[in-house]
Amino acid sequence: MARIDVLMPQMGESIAEGTLSKWLKKVGDPVKRDEPLFEISTDKVDAEIPAPSAGVLAEIKVQEGQTVPVQTVVGVMETEAGAVVPAPAKPEPPKAAAPAPAPPPPAPKPEPPAPRSEAPAARPSARPADGDGGVQTAEQRLRTKSTPLVRKIAAEHSVDISGIPGSGYAGRVTKQDILGYIDRVPTQQAPATRPQALGPIEHPAVEPWPGDRVAPWSKIRKITADHMVASKRVSAHVASFFEVDFTRVAQLRARAKQSYSDRGVSLTFLAFIAKACAETLRKHPVVNSAVSGDSTIYRADVNVGIAVALDWGLIVPVIKHADELSLMGMARAINDLGERARTKKLLPDDIQRGTFTITNPGGFGPFAGIPIINQPQVAILGVGAIEKRPKVVTAADGTDSIAIRTMGMLTMSYDHRVVDGADADKFLADVKKLLQEFPEGAV
Amino acid sequence: MALPATRPTAAVPAGVVLSPDQLLEIYYYLRLTRTLEERLVALYRQTKVIGGLFRSLGQEGESVASAYALERGRHKDVLSPLIRNLGSLLVMGAQPIEILRQYMAKADSPTHGRELNVHFNDLEKGYLGQISHLGDMIPVMAGIALSFKLRGEPRVGLVYIGDGGTSTGTFHEGLNLAAVQRLPLVVIGEYNHWAYSTPPEKQFAVKDLAEKAKGYGVPAVTVDGNDVFAVYEATRFAVDRARRGKGVHFIEVKTYRRKGHAEHDDQHYVPKTDLERWAKDNDPVDRYVQRLLTGEMVAEADLKEIDDRVRVEVDQATDACVNEPLPAPESALPGVYVDPPAADTLWFKVL
Amino acid sequence: MAEVTFLEALRQGIWEEMERDDRVFILGEDVGLYGGAFKVTEGFSKRFGESRVIDTPISEAAIVGAAAGAAHMGLRPVAEMQFIDFISCAYDMLTNYVATARYRAGLSTPMVVRGPCGGYVRGGPFHSQNPEAAFLHTPGLKIVYPATARDAKGLIKASIRDEDPVLYLEHKWLYRRIKEQLPEGEEILTPIGQARIAREGKHLSIISYGATLWKSLEAAEQLEKADGVSVEVLDLRTLLPMDDAAIVATVKKTNKVLIVHEDTRTGGIAGEIAARINEQAFEWLDGPIMRVTAHDVPIPYAPTLEDFVLPQTDDIVKAARWLAKY
Repeated sequence: MARIDVLMPQMGESIAEGTLSKWLKKVGDPVKRDEPLFEISTDKVDAEIPAPSAGVLAEIKVQEGQTVPVQTVVGVMETEAGAVVPAPAKPEPPKAAAPAPAPPPPAPKPEPPAPRSEAPAARPSARPADGDGGVQTAEQRLRTKSTPLVRKIAAEHSVDISGIPGSGYAGRVTKQDILGYIDRVPTQQAPATRPQALGPIEHPAVEPWPGDRVAPWSKIRKITADHMVASKRVSAHVASFFEVDFTRVAQLRARAKQSYSDRGVSLTFLAFIAKACAETLRKHPVVNSAVSGDSTIYRADVNVGIAVALDWGLIVPVIKHADELSLMGMARAINDLGERARTKKLLPDDIQRGTFTITNPGGFGPFAGIPIINQPQVAILGVGAIEKRPKVVTAADGTDSIAIRTMGMLTMSYDHRVVDGADADKFLADVKKLLQEFPEGAV
Repeated sequence: MALPATRPTAAVPAGVVLSPDQLLEIYYYLRLTRTLEERLVALYRQTKVIGGLFRSLGQEGESVASAYALERGRHKDVLSPLIRNLGSLLVMGAQPIEILRQYMAKADSPTHGRELNVHFNDLEKGYLGQISHLGDMIPVMAGIALSFKLRGEPRVGLVYIGDGGTSTGTFHEGLNLAAVQRLPLVVIGEYNHWAYSTPPEKQFAVKDLAEKAKGYGVPAVTVDGNDVFAVYEATRFAVDRARRGKGVHFIEVKTYRRKGHAEHDDQHYVPKTDLERWAKDNDPVDRYVQRLLTGEMVAEADLKEIDDRVRVEVDQATDACVNEPLPAPESALPGVYVDPPAADTLWFKVL
Repeated sequence: MAEVTFLEALRQGIWEEMERDDRVFILGEDVGLYGGAFKVTEGFSKRFGESRVIDTPISEAAIVGAAAGAAHMGLRPVAEMQFIDFISCAYDMLTNYVATARYRAGLSTPMVVRGPCGGYVRGGPFHSQNPEAAFLHTPGLKIVYPATARDAKGLIKASIRDEDPVLYLEHKWLYRRIKEQLPEGEEILTPIGQARIAREGKHLSIISYGATLWKSLEAAEQLEKADGVSVEVLDLRTLLPMDDAAIVATVKKTNKVLIVHEDTRTGGIAGEIAARINEQAFEWLDGPIMRVTAHDVPIPYAPTLEDFVLPQTDDIVKAARWLAKY
């Protein structure tokens, strides 16, 4: 005795299911071969379905009225001894194929696709490229040149692909490899601190007109762009302007320039400003803080970042423990960081954990600017152009006159969530005073 | 030459000389066609037949009778059957097991599972299966007939076309070419009243297909397609004529498609009374049997013996192949060309 | 909302257009009395009358040619090929006459030729074809190929309203297997020439259409679960004119692209897509453009053969996995 499945048939190419409308036999009834066993109903047709073989209806699995997918087992038959046992409708494991009508040799097992025609080089091969023994192999080419995308990223960041470990096919450098490398060795990196964005930052698309040149962003530009938008979103930006008389500083600088230079240090106005800020930040901790959720983090250290504008983007190397440095130390630090920024030799630590930022466009800069806070700090000082301007001076006896003084505008953008106007103004007033009365002994 | 119209007549038409053995042989093919198709229907409903099933119920007479008029055997006459000419195929020597294997997509089918149902051929035995595009076999069979003519061989081609098929462009081009070349080609136009659901009045503006054929300069007759003797005689006449170099002949056989276009078509658009009438009053096998017995041409016991033999034959053929495997997947690739011998296996299959 | 099959959505689309615009009519084999071989036009004859649902003889060339003539005169014919495989009989009319009519003669020919295409149904070589490649190089013709029920409706309506001749390919395997919720009482129109992101992803893009769109989505699911690979799937929907912007955008997003279609490798439209990506987004590629297609053989009938020859979900998974690792 053998058991055979009885299936819901497929009556038509696009039919996917059928309803078993009526069983024509009961369990236990004998059935002749081809005798109608049950009725079905589909979208297209109703039909009587014959028994697959002679035998007895042993089991009903699908009841009248049920709708099931085609090929579902609706019942089971037991066949008589000696009757043919039909195999289930599913194909058996295929045997060796009979040859086609005009018997050709069997299809040759294909080689692993080679780097010609449209097949990829799925298995690394040592075949040299087209003919010349001296030319690179496909793998060498792949390792040194990788793919168009990786080459593009490498060019934008002036990175040498061959210096990067590759995890892709044939050891090539993948997109993930090169981006990861750039992240870890950020010779070109924008501020390492991620923008604390409220929600995702999207830059809306704009339609280019004929003739326009569309330049997709480099990574550093993207980071900068996102950071700027995020900063404006997060902080309540307010700006205070303090005009500082740099005449004394200019005199001190002129006198000390040569001796500093002898010691390999270029003494700039920026050094004086940075020193004044670093000391004054100690006295006004709120300007040296960060906002975190509902709290203000008062930083333990005073780490002053100096913004450097490079051809390929902005970067802010940081002078750690700036309040502990002398003017000489500060000037040296500024020189060093600027130099290393320009030659892409900054280390990750050099651009992290700043607590306050100074941005100084220098002699060709504006009278004053309103910089964007460098997150997650709460203040940034912009230095306007320092130049000779007429100023009213009051003599000891009270008479006023116009003198020619070296002046410069300091603009501080600060985060009004935690830095109030009075805080900012007091800080700046102290900085101004310190600069205008810079002790000669500190030079 | 006037031939009987659509009413059955008692006497065997003049010119038809068939021995009792031949009469029984014709009966065998009629019975085999019908029984094999009934088995195919059962297999279809058991999901063993893959794809559609197209019955020739009611048309067995004209298929068998017309094919029987050819010279059969290796390198003799060649015919091209349509989907409802299973009878013609069997007469030309196709085996029931081959038909069953084709319908069940078996690896050992004549096309190794590549083509469905009766779309297969054996040019040596003398049959060339169709492709689905109707009308296309007319120019092809004209070409085969052309080869006979060019080689001076006394061989004839025979091709079937349905009433719907006569609307196609290739019917026109093929028949015209054959006619103007005076090729040894007999065309059987099967007026079975239905092209899927389309009746003749939506298919053409003539009453008889024979009128169309005459437009090509081809002699044409209309015969009772359900009268085995009439069809045999007409075809025999046309075939002999072609063999003598007289060119194309068109025979319209009036018959009726008693089942739907395919098994999934319930024919709801056909008046039930028409179906009943044709089944009861004009079944070609019944009429043939009646003629044989009325004319005392054969013994009833002989017919019964053939019925039994056919049943056993069909059972044995089914049992022999029903459990055979389907073709191996990679066997799909060879044979597109002679050279190269096989299509490429695509890259993702060998990952 | 109502749950509607692909076929039902298609039917609704044609029906709505016939109600909206008297000039729309249908011609084809067995479309009227029988309601079409797949029942797409069931009930149409009763509602719109025999003069607007014409049962033709078996004459594909005449069907297409007559549609063109009627379209010149301001009618909006929707010509059915009972199986798209038979469009080959009308190749001359469609490519030489219809597609060139506006360009060479200023003749307006707003017509739709539609028919069931595609395999996976054991139909053999003449009931399983995907003919789009044969018509892609035919300027003047538009080709659309919906994958979803919504687009089946949206695209047939858009095609009927379009001023240019449109070849509308409907996959017979999708007819009853795809069921979607579609809003009722709302006009659904899918713009011709616009692709659609069927699934968002980050690591790799699959570009596909028709039945293989669904297999690509299945593959994307599997890759996400098994490999953590995030696959974006783009449904082209329109093959001609092709949506270059959408193709380029997804390549720029993921930098790796796999093109999947049911048609053969050689001459299949994946080659055209790959060439365009090369032209417009070369610098964004982090891997070669690869294809999953049918083998270069006529479509065989036996299930084991057809399943091997045509692309399956498993093939797409393997190919995408390979590309993701490149």
